[in-house]
Amino acid sequence: MRLLKKYGALYVMMVPVIAYFLVFAYYPLVKGLQTSLQDYKLMGDRPYVGFANYDAVLHDSLFWEAMVNTLVIGGGILLFSFVAPLVIALSLNEVLRTWFKKMAQMILYVPHLLSWVVVGGIWIFMLSPDSGIVNMILVHVFHRAPINFLADSGYARWIMILLSTWKEMGYTCILFLAGIVSINPSLYEAARMDGATRWQQLTYVTLPQLSNTMKVVFLLNTLGILRIFDQVFILRNPTIASKVDVLMMYTFQKGILEIQLGPAAAASFFVLVLTLALTLVVRRMTRFDEV
Amino acid sequence: MKKVWLTMSTVAVASTMLLSGCGSDSGTNDAANSNAAAGNNANAPANAPADAPANAPAGDMKLRILDANVGGKTPEENAKFEAEIKRLTGIDASIEKPASDYDQKVLTALGSGEKYDLIELSDLGKLATFVDQGVVTDLTDFVTKSTVLSDPSVVPTAEWDQLKDKDGKIVAVFSKFQGGTMPIVRKDWLDKLGLKEPKTLDEYYNVLKAFKEKDPDGNGKNDTYGLCTSDLYDIQGFMSAAGVKAHYVMKDGKRTIPYATEAAVPMYEWFAKLVKEGIMDPNFVTNDTGKMRNLFLSDRVGMVTYWDAWVGMFNNTRKQADPNTTFQAEALEGIPGADGTILMRRGDPDFWIIPANAEHPDAAKKFLEFWHTEPGITLGSLGIENEDFTKEGDAYKLTPTGTEHNMDHGVPFWYNQNVKYPFGKLPGVQEAQDLVTKDATLELSLPGWPDAEKIVKNYALKAMSGQMDASEAVKKMHEELLGKKLIDE
Amino acid sequence: MSDRFERLGWKNKAFDMLNALFLLALMLTMIIPFINVLALSFSSGIASMRPEIVLWPKQFSAEGYQIVWKSLDIWRPLLNSVIVTVIGTTLHVLLSSLAGYVFIYPRLPGKKVMLTFILITMMVPQEAIMIPLYVVNKDLHLINTLSSLVLSGLVSGFSILLMRSFFLNVPYEMSESAKIDGAGEFRIFLTMYLRLAAAGLATVTLFEFVGRWNMFTAPVMFINDSMKYTLQVALKAMIIDTSSNSGTYMVTTNVRMAGIVISILPLIAVYPFVQKYFMKGILLGASKE
Repeated sequence: MRLLKKYGALYVMMVPVIAYFLVFAYYPLVKGLQTSLQDYKLMGDRPYVGFANYDAVLHDSLFWEAMVNTLVIGGGILLFSFVAPLVIALSLNEVLRTWFKKMAQMILYVPHLLSWVVVGGIWIFMLSPDSGIVNMILVHVFHRAPINFLADSGYARWIMILLSTWKEMGYTCILFLAGIVSINPSLYEAARMDGATRWQQLTYVTLPQLSNTMKVVFLLNTLGILRIFDQVFILRNPTIASKVDVLMMYTFQKGILEIQLGPAAAASFFVLVLTLALTLVVRRMTRFDEV
Repeated sequence: MKKVWLTMSTVAVASTMLLSGCGSDSGTNDAANSNAAAGNNANAPANAPADAPANAPAGDMKLRILDANVGGKTPEENAKFEAEIKRLTGIDASIEKPASDYDQKVLTALGSGEKYDLIELSDLGKLATFVDQGVVTDLTDFVTKSTVLSDPSVVPTAEWDQLKDKDGKIVAVFSKFQGGTMPIVRKDWLDKLGLKEPKTLDEYYNVLKAFKEKDPDGNGKNDTYGLCTSDLYDIQGFMSAAGVKAHYVMKDGKRTIPYATEAAVPMYEWFAKLVKEGIMDPNFVTNDTGKMRNLFLSDRVGMVTYWDAWVGMFNNTRKQADPNTTFQAEALEGIPGADGTILMRRGDPDFWIIPANAEHPDAAKKFLEFWHTEPGITLGSLGIENEDFTKEGDAYKLTPTGTEHNMDHGVPFWYNQNVKYPFGKLPGVQEAQDLVTKDATLELSLPGWPDAEKIVKNYALKAMSGQMDASEAVKKMHEELLGKKLIDE
Repeated sequence: MSDRFERLGWKNKAFDMLNALFLLALMLTMIIPFINVLALSFSSGIASMRPEIVLWPKQFSAEGYQIVWKSLDIWRPLLNSVIVTVIGTTLHVLLSSLAGYVFIYPRLPGKKVMLTFILITMMVPQEAIMIPLYVVNKDLHLINTLSSLVLSGLVSGFSILLMRSFFLNVPYEMSESAKIDGAGEFRIFLTMYLRLAAAGLATVTLFEFVGRWNMFTAPVMFINDSMKYTLQVALKAMIIDTSSNSGTYMVTTNVRMAGIVISILPLIAVYPFVQKYFMKGILLGASKE
């Protein structure tokens, strides 16, 4: 009773959110689970087939290929798209001229506004072997032979990781900046009183105070890495497909192209379960639940 | 500030309470409803009565259409398009033309039990899957008994074979005449360099080399390529020289993929030579077809592989930008193989299906017949009367809007020989279509093709771009296809 | 700020220079795609097709914009977009902050369960549940209504977690003392937390605003009536190209790029307004003590 009185209002605040998720996330999810257990035809009977769809997916070498690609590319993105925006946010924070800071923030955020179709198309040009700027530099400055980056399976995964990091870094950077802005200025004042250098202020005040934001950014990134799709869809081509086709690409092929909705749903649930496991690890490691 | 937040949040909270309240209520109802819906589906006969009278009185006929190509180019025009159908047929049609993700839209609509009367598709592999999954209605009786559709001058009888399922039943109706693809060359560049249309592999090589080296656009810069393709998009006209056909070919009841055989090796080597000598655009691996088209239109490449209809589009686009242009695109025939046979690619047809759960199959059938008669063809090509074109007596005149829409509202070309092209065809198109009629055949997509395609493309493109030795690539391709049981020999 | 200027030694100056150069180089890579889009949108049809990165229009022409303008009655889809984005974002931010606030209580019973409940919603691949999601919308009679777009993503775990992390930066003792003064949870949330986490609120608002404005899959799936298209979808519908089949309708690159510019212009315009609140965060923070 005492608990209810203390926390009752909080539970009431959660009610709309929980209700929304039940209808728009959990109910479809359960239906999706049902699909994964059916011989799902678009019309007519949809008999239950137990775990046959899961079995089929697990015995598909393409699924495992996609799994490896997802883990490698996703892992790379997880690392880079955490570190890069943090570095930029800290770097921006050291900028003293407000106009420059404002302008930089705004420009860094522009790639996020453009879709992968646009950004991907431009990078395909920039990386092209005959007229792309990257190869021009390679040839004229470093006197090396041009590299067909997007048709070379040795570079393909790196390109996915780096382009993804590049596109979203200004965006994630905003999160870190907002976190930095919320740091109590009196902490810096105290540090300066003690004669702290800029570097010391950074390591003793900014970074520790940013830990909550860092935790949440890392967790949010973790939740997304197994679902990368758009950039792969735009930047892939058949010569690098076996190195970059990720799990969502696999479900896209199964579901939308081959209309095997049962196996596609089963593959999606592997993605979900795997994400759940990863998230648990991250929650434990970052002690996310503890305040 | 505080007050604003307070009122805003109160309103918002209250409204979401309401929303989520009714949301969760109906959430429970949903389960019951959709179960019932699923049950209905299960009981629905896989084939609706096929011999229902197609020429029932129009009355208040309703029709719900889901399509990718047919209709207005903008929301406003789409509304006018529907009104025009009503005026011409009496059918109250609603056309839903998704802006993108068409495949997913179709799946979602069908899977959720949404009821459409006509759905447009353009992939025969998908059609086979839809037949398997109980989606389509058998239209054999309707087509054979329809005075319009069974008339060979409206649709040549042999063409219907494309739309038959494995039991020989007709399960769809064409929405337009589909062409094929071929090498398309800059005729004006040929003339300028004093070259003839190439016929053999060597002649092709010489022409392409000249395009690369002899500055055909005359800008003094070495910025042209001989050939550009996109991905493995239709190199059939060249592969014809080795007598290999794309996709699957059934040989004595066994599945084979000729692109994955020894015979294809010299062709991959030929392409690799072009790439190595800088004659072929090295970006062909990453190009999409749009980029390939743009290269051709902007004087960067002398030959591409594309659709017949685009010979005309290329010529027209340049003409509109500059009436004095010398630009001239021309279709080329594929290269004959050792036995003299020329293999070219015919595109999968665009066609309509009537889903098994259609509520107004009779209206759908009436519409299908209408679509193949003169008023239907005029609507599908020129567009809407007094919007896209005006008519004085028998003479048609395009409005500026109509000119912009390029006489394509889903039906740029049609089968019906009794209906004339009021403005003729764009320059070069007829010749290109003649080549298609003469040499082109459909490609066979068996189940598993998406998987096989990935393997074929991977090795073929690696061999063509010179990343891998051609015979090694073919060997690996073949082994992998066999290993995954995607071919039989 | 002024005291930071005073301490600028040569090392500091050198660092500032390097730092600025680093940021400038990065900004350059980011601005190029946008300038390229802009330049192409102001080029003539044929010129816009050349395969190169241009930073200045070749054969300057506003033809792309004229075509978009002429063929699309832009106000209706724009209005639809504004309605969906403004209402959707407002509700989203409120609901998400409400839930985010709940999660800052360290000893709240059931917190872990609720957190897991929310995290799971963030792991669901949307493609996998598209058909059931459509059925839900259909059964609630939301298909073909703008409400379906407002409701799509009305709350997200993403925003809840973000708001939570911003609220965590607000000193917990403050709410304790407010409670001793007899303030209820709702009041503390509204009067204290929302204001003190203004920077966070601005961030989440910006993210959601951008996300909703660019929302694409939901309108394509849930809206059939083209009169209810949002701006993104209407523009896309206008520039559908028949590159994958044998149709004969072509949209030139300049028109396509003009469409892209029109669609992201509002997002760029709204940014400085949101950015103001990043600065406000500092002021509020300063008044915390």
